[in-house]
Amino acid sequence: MKAVHYVNQFFAGLGGEDKAETPPARLGGAVGPGRGLAGELGEVEIVATLACGDDYFAEHEEEALATLLGYLEQESPDVFIAGPAFGSGRYGYACGTLVAAAAERGIPSVAAMHPENPGVDTAGKAYVVPTAVNVAGMRDALPRVARLATALAQGRDLGTASDEGYLPRGFRRNYFAEKTGAERAVDLLIAKLGGETRTEVGGGLDRVEPPAAVPDLSETLVALVTEGGCVPQGNPDRLPSVRAKGWLRYELDGAETLSAARYESVHGGFDVTLANEDPNRLVPLDTARALEREGRIGRVHETFYTTTGNGTPVVASTRFGREIAGELREAGVGAVLLSGT
Amino acid sequence: MIGANRIVRGPAITHPFGVDEAERRRIVERALELLETDVEPNTVWEVAE
Repeated sequence: MKAVHYVNQFFAGLGGEDKAETPPARLGGAVGPGRGLAGELGEVEIVATLACGDDYFAEHEEEALATLLGYLEQESPDVFIAGPAFGSGRYGYACGTLVAAAAERGIPSVAAMHPENPGVDTAGKAYVVPTAVNVAGMRDALPRVARLATALAQGRDLGTASDEGYLPRGFRRNYFAEKTGAERAVDLLIAKLGGETRTEVGGGLDRVEPPAAVPDLSETLVALVTEGGCVPQGNPDRLPSVRAKGWLRYELDGAETLSAARYESVHGGFDVTLANEDPNRLVPLDTARALEREGRIGRVHETFYTTTGNGTPVVASTRFGREIAGELREAGVGAVLLSGT
Repeated sequence: MIGANRIVRGPAITHPFGVDEAERRRIVERALELLETDVEPNTVWEVAE
């Protein structure tokens, strides 16, 4: 079985940053870390190494990709391996882009890099083996890359990411499990009680450090934000009911309450009848104003923010949060009441 | 729960701040208490009836 290996100019032994503009090249056999990889691959032989300068790939991507894929297709490998790129962003980007393109062409492909390398997001349907952030992780990475590459070359059906040692790709596959869900849930609980946390469904979620407690709400500007799709009657700015691509802000102009005559919800993910009878059920302006009068909170921010959290991709909602938070910070807001539906 | 560390459980999706003003007041005041409290990530508080 044949493999082709991709490395950058440094690992190909062509030079360092001074050679980052090196155009694509084809080298015979295993080069650099490829020699270590070859030792782990066993029956799979590295028949060629492709190399390219990191800057060249980034600045001439279309041309570099076409040339490298041309070399790759000439070799007709059973597997294509790129990296390990560790934490190197340009190298990781090149590796991810190449394996994605190779996989699209039906060549089983695997890259290797640190999970936070931006190249991970470019790898498409190809596999990515996680590595340490720097070259100190080479000895650990090569056997794992080789194991997966060999499996791909053999055409073996791969198991889950955690079983096979690659980064989850977000695909869900149905299979018949030996145990029922209830039995597997109990197994997970027993494992957790024993100190081992496992999950069948990966989180992949951010963890944001909680801000410190608000020291004195009576001196604090408090803002109202909602993903309940609360907008002025008639939805003048056309907030979508689903898959919103942005958010909106509206001035409260000292209003004491959100009246049903002036506001409505356009959220497409739940029955908005109750919210439209009384929009304060989504955005508690009436209560906030009362607390403002009583001095429990300093002031209610006169701008409220709204979007529709229905089918919104995490990437988009993360952006919304950052943008809204930026405005709130500029305005001196110290706390937010955000309604989620 | 990405980034949400202080969470007050609302009564329902259709009316997270409650049906009437009294319920809304309880929920908002609970939220204010939570804002004034140092928390571990993903802290969820209930609201007393």
